[in-house]
Amino acid sequence: MTTGSFTSRPRYSPLTRFPSARAHLLVADHAGIAPHAFAETCSAADFPERWEVVAHARVLPQPLGGPGVHQFRSASHLLTLLGHRLNAETMGLRLYAVGSEPFVWDVARVGREAGMGREEMQLFAVGQPVRRVVCVHCRTINPEVTTTLVTCAGCGVTLSVRDHFSRMHNTWMGVQCDAEAPGELPEVEDLCA
Amino acid sequence: MMDDRTLSLRVAAAPLVATGLRRLHLVAADGSRLPPAAPGAHITLTLPSPAGARPLRNSYTLVEADPERGYQLIVRRTDRSRGGSHHIHDRLQPGDTIEATVPHNLFALHSQARKHLLIAGGIGITPMLAFVAHLREARAAFELHQIASADEAGVFAALLAPHPGERIQVHAGRDACDIAALLAAQPLGTHVYTCGPGAMMDRIAAVAAELGWPASHVHREDFGAAGGEPFTARLARSGIDVAVAGDQTLLEAIEAAGIDTPSLCRGGACGVCILPLSEGDPEHRDHFLSEAERASGCHIMPCVSRSRSATLVLDI
Repeated sequence: MTTGSFTSRPRYSPLTRFPSARAHLLVADHAGIAPHAFAETCSAADFPERWEVVAHARVLPQPLGGPGVHQFRSASHLLTLLGHRLNAETMGLRLYAVGSEPFVWDVARVGREAGMGREEMQLFAVGQPVRRVVCVHCRTINPEVTTTLVTCAGCGVTLSVRDHFSRMHNTWMGVQCDAEAPGELPEVEDLCA
Repeated sequence: MMDDRTLSLRVAAAPLVATGLRRLHLVAADGSRLPPAAPGAHITLTLPSPAGARPLRNSYTLVEADPERGYQLIVRRTDRSRGGSHHIHDRLQPGDTIEATVPHNLFALHSQARKHLLIAGGIGITPMLAFVAHLREARAAFELHQIASADEAGVFAALLAPHPGERIQVHAGRDACDIAALLAAQPLGTHVYTCGPGAMMDRIAAVAAELGWPASHVHREDFGAAGGEPFTARLARSGIDVAVAGDQTLLEAIEAAGIDTPSLCRGGACGVCILPLSEGDPEHRDHFLSEAERASGCHIMPCVSRSRSATLVLDI
């Protein structure tokens, strides 16, 4: 790996219900949340209001709010409506997100924009590591990167994916890998490794 | 460590704004620029004590702080005063010089808040005046509720001088403001700031917790929560016993005994005056020590905390 010793890789703890909250909202980018996303003391049943992405044409718009499982056709659809929902909420709500790392941090951004702090949210990333990588040279965002080297879709250079995550931008840092010695590239590794 | 430089200030004006409320306008004695201060900051004035004992140090919020125009404070003349407010009301004259710390801020507005809910009781209005001036300028969303006794409601309404369209309300009497309804109606991202009697602030914090507000969204400022049963502080290393009177703080008693010990906010918030405790049953009144630290019983904040036992043994 080209990451060196420094890392700002987020760590995730399985979800637990915040004590003393007025209401809880769990959002996920998939249906059927795996049990390991929850701490031993809790399960999906502890979150009566759940929003899930079910990419299917049969998903129809539903009235929002209140207990029940609400389905969305895409993560962007869910995130947009989450923003509207949070803007109409009062204090005392807690927000939980389960899904791919880019998704859970998108949820965190929507929460933050609605004025929620880190102590009002819990995130849990599941599945294979997928990184949203920003090219520090041309600012292009390269979605769904799974390897330590990636060709930037914007400027075409080979980026080395640093182990440096921006919670604010929800991106990993990609830096041209052969800037010093053009053409000299290390071996590509899988980020899961 | 916080800045412990002192300022020499000259009283430019000291008008009475209402019965028992005096506004102090302070400028640098040498005419220089004063350090800037964000809203919510306070300074600690060194005031001569009536008996000619060690000088008193009282903290007052800056109602306005401008490096060129100077600092403004509003001081209430309190009957339970240790002499500080009486000195300011009865003796201090324009032209006099007093010593003060540079401004410190333990009650800052939260920069990420989407809305600021300000609740003050009585003279707790002082930081709110600074907040309102700042929030108006920043065009930030805010709401202010001032709780005042019926006969003082008019005074506070005049001090606040609401602009049209602003949600600034003066409630005459403690029960005139429905705290639970007020807190329940606040949008996500609201921060609440309270300044006033301890019981009022405790109640607001309790109601907020009940409604699921995270503690990080609840802010409070309380100076001078002093007073209680007298007790004896045994200073083990100095080998002396210090009597702490009912209207005196432990810190004041230690200072009066000639022991120099660092202090800053003198309100239980900053943590500078922390002292090691070896015996006794402390009554913690600060906001600095965590529950775990209190349970371990090793430290006490002498500026506000007292003793339940007749004697408290400190390792100083």
